[in-house]
Amino acid sequence: MSDRLRPLLVVAAALVLVLGVVPAVLGALDRSYLYQVANLALIFVLLAASMHLVTGVAGLLQLGHAAFYGIGAYTAALLATEAGLTFGWTLPLSGLSAAFVAVLVALPTMRLVSIYFAVATLGIGQMIYLVMLNWVPVTKGPNGILVTSGLELFGYDLSASAPAYFVVAIITLVSLWVIHRLSHSYYGNALRALREDDQCADAMGLDTVRLKIESFAVSGFFAGIAGALWAHTAGYISPADFAFPQSILILAMVVVGGLGSLPGAVIGALILILLPEVLRPVGDFRNIIVGGVLFFSILLMPKGIIGEVSALDLVRRQLGGAWRGEGTKAGPEVGWR
Amino acid sequence: MTALLTIDGATRRFGGLTAVDNVSTTVAKGELVGVIGPNGAGKTTLFNLISGFTPLSSGAVHFKGRRIDGLKPFRIARLGIARTFQNLRIFPNMSVFDNVSVGAAGMLGVSAAEAVFGGRARSEAISRRAWAALEQVGLQDLAGELAANISYGRRKYLEIARALAMEPELIILDEPAAGLNDTETRELAAFIQRLHGAGMTVLLVEHDMGLVMGICQRVVVLASGRKIADAPPEVVRKDPAVLEAYLGVEE
Repeated sequence: MSDRLRPLLVVAAALVLVLGVVPAVLGALDRSYLYQVANLALIFVLLAASMHLVTGVAGLLQLGHAAFYGIGAYTAALLATEAGLTFGWTLPLSGLSAAFVAVLVALPTMRLVSIYFAVATLGIGQMIYLVMLNWVPVTKGPNGILVTSGLELFGYDLSASAPAYFVVAIITLVSLWVIHRLSHSYYGNALRALREDDQCADAMGLDTVRLKIESFAVSGFFAGIAGALWAHTAGYISPADFAFPQSILILAMVVVGGLGSLPGAVIGALILILLPEVLRPVGDFRNIIVGGVLFFSILLMPKGIIGEVSALDLVRRQLGGAWRGEGTKAGPEVGWR
Repeated sequence: MTALLTIDGATRRFGGLTAVDNVSTTVAKGELVGVIGPNGAGKTTLFNLISGFTPLSSGAVHFKGRRIDGLKPFRIARLGIARTFQNLRIFPNMSVFDNVSVGAAGMLGVSAAEAVFGGRARSEAISRRAWAALEQVGLQDLAGELAANISYGRRKYLEIARALAMEPELIILDEPAAGLNDTETRELAAFIQRLHGAGMTVLLVEHDMGLVMGICQRVVVLASGRKIADAPPEVVRKDPAVLEAYLGVEE
């Protein structure tokens, strides 16, 4: 198979699967619960793909990704319930608001090195979660928000299970295409250079701070889009959907699939959403099995299913210059740079 | 000859230690200049001062008549100064080609919007430059190989190729022969001479005296941060101050 033909075949197969086979099966079974699982899987594919850009490609260990997902969801839910906007408006606005917050977060934290950056994103993720939980007049606190407006796009009501699935699927596919163009191109290579050695990338003429902020903003944007999809298809959101465990779940998807690989992030998301569903018959044991899959995948496949960097390697580098091997003297200093 | 790079009273203090002490020199366009000195003489610090990785305590650095000290490293790089690192810093988890393409991308600029919605023009310009640099060092057959998987000697050339893909006006090589055996060092010397012959201005820090004395037109000798000699190799070789500080007793 020629190198040019293979990507086309992969794309064609993915399109047939997502827009043909899956909806046909869902339609035949016709259970709204299965549609919800399919939507959830697609939303997490998008979340994992957006995190792939910032953690897998640019190498910034992001521990608060769910917060941007939450900002998108709350933006969509509030605009829909309070301002009466339809999905056509809430979708881009939730992406933009999440991207805006991502830039605000990035500006002070991007100069932080390695593990300090990870801890900062962890803290900011918690802050945003606590705001959702405690700013009761706006977010309704732990009661969450009921989004009753459904999915209306260009005047058509697409709230029924099948059309909603298609909306989620098409938006996810378009987003994946954009992320693919970013991560598997010269732009992605520039981001990879930051992951590998950002001082060195600096010496190549790359504006490392600008690139980090950009990748963070783009990643936040797509997490916000995923949030809007969730708010409009699930119909109900609450702070628990966007808490720390969700950030770790998304990180686990990227790591299991393989850091630096977009198909890896997609596969990782599908495994970690669908595996617990498939294992439903074994009851609570499924959580142990899922944990076991995570544990052994790190142990036996440090580079994930199709990754380019080992997760252990990335974390090791995040922990500071001492483990960088020979380059310690010229390597990044601990703390501020 | 016009000076491409002018270093004027460059001084860098780390606490009580003066790593580089009032060093002045110039590099003319098309020159091949070596910097030597014993361990801790301040050679690498001097390079870091030029490339913007370490700020100057006092003094000034001009490149093409423009003052560059105080600029961020990437801005200095974009003006046309490419460097390699003492401890070989390639991007190990990227292919050989991708490594080199980063050098080209840094100089030609990267834009997220263009990467997504733009045409192939920039992408093709970057890969043309990257291929040209790979061919210059003879690594084109290994382009698809992961950089971590190629031999040490070839990684040295990979790092140089990455710098060449930037199409710089001045290339700064920090101990390019470190860790190479005699045969490899001779090959490298021949390569640097070819590069210089093709019109490249080269500034070279090296431990290997043979390499520096053999190929450089002019040698700057540092000892304890101070410049003690700045002359053609045959003069430096006989300079008593240099013999005392660096060469010690005769070989």
